[in-house]
Amino acid sequence: MPEVYHTVSSSVVCCAFNSDRSQLALCPNNEEVHIYVKKGASWSLSKVLKEHTEIINGIDWASESDKIVTCSSDRNAYVWKREGNDWKPTLVLLRMNRAATCVKWSPDENKFAVGCGAKLVSICYFEKENDWWVSKHIKKQINSTVLSVDWHPNNILLATGSCDFKCRIFSAYIKEIESKPSPTSWGSKMNFGACMHEFSNSGGGWVHSVSFSFDGKKVAWVGHDSSISVVDSERDNILLTVKSTYLPFASCTWISSNSIVSVGHDCVPYLFSIDGAGNLTFRDALDKKEKKQSENVFSALNKFRDLDRLGSTKSDRSNTSLNSIHQNAIKGVAIARGTKKDCAVFSTFGMDGKIIDWDLKSLEQSIAGLKIA
Amino acid sequence: MILLEIENKIVETTLKSRLNSQKPDAVDQTVADYDGVVFHISNPGRDKSKIMVSISIRSYAQLQQHGVDEHLATIYGNYLTTPEEGYDVSLLFDLENLSSDKDILIRNASLLKRNCVACVFEKYFDLQKQYEDQGVQSKDFAIINYREDETLYIQAQKDRVVVIFSTLFKDENDIIIGKVFMQEFKEGRRGRQEAPQVLFSHRDPPLELRGTSARIGDNVAYISFVLFPRHTNPKNRQNTINVIHTFRNYLHYHIKCSKAYLHSRMRARTEDFLKVLNRAKPEKVSEKKTISGKTFVRR
Amino acid sequence: MCLQNFSSQVIERHNKPEVEVGSSKELLLTPIIISRNEKERVLIESSINSIRVSIAVKQADEIEKILCHKFMRFMMLRAENFIILRRTPMQDYDISFLITNFHTEMMLKHKLVDFVIHFMEDIDKEISEMKLAVNARARICAEEFLKTF
Repeated sequence: MPEVYHTVSSSVVCCAFNSDRSQLALCPNNEEVHIYVKKGASWSLSKVLKEHTEIINGIDWASESDKIVTCSSDRNAYVWKREGNDWKPTLVLLRMNRAATCVKWSPDENKFAVGCGAKLVSICYFEKENDWWVSKHIKKQINSTVLSVDWHPNNILLATGSCDFKCRIFSAYIKEIESKPSPTSWGSKMNFGACMHEFSNSGGGWVHSVSFSFDGKKVAWVGHDSSISVVDSERDNILLTVKSTYLPFASCTWISSNSIVSVGHDCVPYLFSIDGAGNLTFRDALDKKEKKQSENVFSALNKFRDLDRLGSTKSDRSNTSLNSIHQNAIKGVAIARGTKKDCAVFSTFGMDGKIIDWDLKSLEQSIAGLKIA
Repeated sequence: MILLEIENKIVETTLKSRLNSQKPDAVDQTVADYDGVVFHISNPGRDKSKIMVSISIRSYAQLQQHGVDEHLATIYGNYLTTPEEGYDVSLLFDLENLSSDKDILIRNASLLKRNCVACVFEKYFDLQKQYEDQGVQSKDFAIINYREDETLYIQAQKDRVVVIFSTLFKDENDIIIGKVFMQEFKEGRRGRQEAPQVLFSHRDPPLELRGTSARIGDNVAYISFVLFPRHTNPKNRQNTINVIHTFRNYLHYHIKCSKAYLHSRMRARTEDFLKVLNRAKPEKVSEKKTISGKTFVRR
Repeated sequence: MCLQNFSSQVIERHNKPEVEVGSSKELLLTPIIISRNEKERVLIESSINSIRVSIAVKQADEIEKILCHKFMRFMMLRAENFIILRRTPMQDYDISFLITNFHTEMMLKHKLVDFVIHFMEDIDKEISEMKLAVNARARICAEEFLKTF
């Protein structure tokens, strides 16, 4: 069953774990990064990283090199390097004049991509000679704020989702630090900044999240029109779209070669998968909205205070809380254990300050007929 | 208190305390009443044994045309004295030399304003009787500017006396609330034969006042009372005057009350809405550490 | 009412409700008008980080009109308590709510929806009750006054 991993008092805007999930970096809806360290079963706040001046929109933790990158509305990004017990920030020259909205390390962790409100994506890599991070811009065809980025496993291609309702695949090949990439299923000519593909599900939704599959041959994205779309490059870029009746999605990730979990304003993760016939279908909600037993702590104090504050005697707490585990919109989903091919546990975090782990094995057991392949 | 009092309470109580006590205190009071009326109660020449009650009415000059002086003389007789400077009528009571019943004296003094205005009504009520007997009628009006921009018209006809109030609403919302009230006045006569007929017109003066200098405007309203002999006969006359001369104040008073009521109602409802909005805020559970390091949760 | 934090992409380092700024077309959703009739209608305009709900209340006659106007004014003067209330209504509407992502972060979304619905239901009721109260008072006053003759 899903396990509430950690709860903080404010909304979690973004969060990232280190490689063995013993540490956690999150932004509690302000300009700070909080680092939590697991001690036994509980988490304790170990460090507060203060360098940004506005709300932090993106955090990513490089699992191998143990570096954290953060980006914020103050237009800056920092790379945090562990030095003993401390974290040392290095400012990254993003050269952008609008808020940075999302950030992600490339699989090889030698560069990262930052999406931003200036209608561009900044690809940053480390220049040894000068000992700093420099950036290159991808601007082509992007007509609005970039809301999300995801790397292809080959470390070259980058998928972006933006407010102009489109999902695009760019080449982020940096010839200064990389050898010439080999052709992929998305194309073979990969100059820096080239837009390899542009997809639209002809809907009107802002693309909140994009995700490459494990082999990088499929890309999935979710939009504000509550749709989820997949393009399979091995099947002539066929576009598969499902428009759901739920509230808009905010994030998605592949959990197996055929299954996607998407989360959003409905506070419940939903499972979609590509069936044997190659169609994208909705499978199931992973949080059965069961009526929770409201703990009946009835006291005179509570009653009269509610009467005063809320103007109702019915102290119906069950009415105040939703039936799902998350109590407010889920902001993101990430693989916790396993990979995009064989995920065992994924975690979600949301506006309610909860970080929740979902064990797929036990989910399969508890939800009849659910088989995650 | 639905109906307004016709006497002036302050004048009444002040006089009561002075006239009934053995050793009267010195007095010097200025009292305001409706329609810009000002009373002044004082000891002329600092003589504690004498009390002077003066009144100033803005339309006194007009009242004089209708014989207010004579009318007052019949009521107050010897107590009338030369008006104090700045006032229109003055009554002088010599405490050492009070003739008749003190209570009647006090009552009459507190009704000074009412009695001043009453003369016009009395005159026209009499005129109506005269016209009825003689079968003629004149078209002239008594015009009393009882307030700035607000006027009282009285016209006597063969079979009736028409009393018209013109009133001015400062606030445009008052007009609309006032309309509701006046509508009710108009309809209130149903099932009440003894009540006078009430007509009201908004913006334009009623037919009787066509051709006069009556104001026209969006914020002006005219209310006409048609008084029949059953109202104006000597038996009912005093009561009619009592009621009708407070009409304007009565109307405005209740419009104000309505607004106050609406306001308090809105306040209550707004608070209500706020409470509903508060329901949207999740419970904040704040943790506090005690000195011993234990955590207690404040709910 | 699915909103998120969104910094302005037009003005540097600003974070404004896009539905109010309206400078980036792609960030706005198609507005919806729900109406019972000409007089009673609700306009919902949504954007990436804010939503504006405007309500036109039934006003059958003059008195309802002023009551409504007074009531709305009364509440808008207290807009700071009513955090989601807009200080001025949209044109042709009587009252507007502006809900931003900060409000949805702070408050429960489904309860906010409840509030707006509760508000719409009650406002009509309240205005007709106030109207009745004025009428009743007027009637009593008139009767009392005329009774004395």
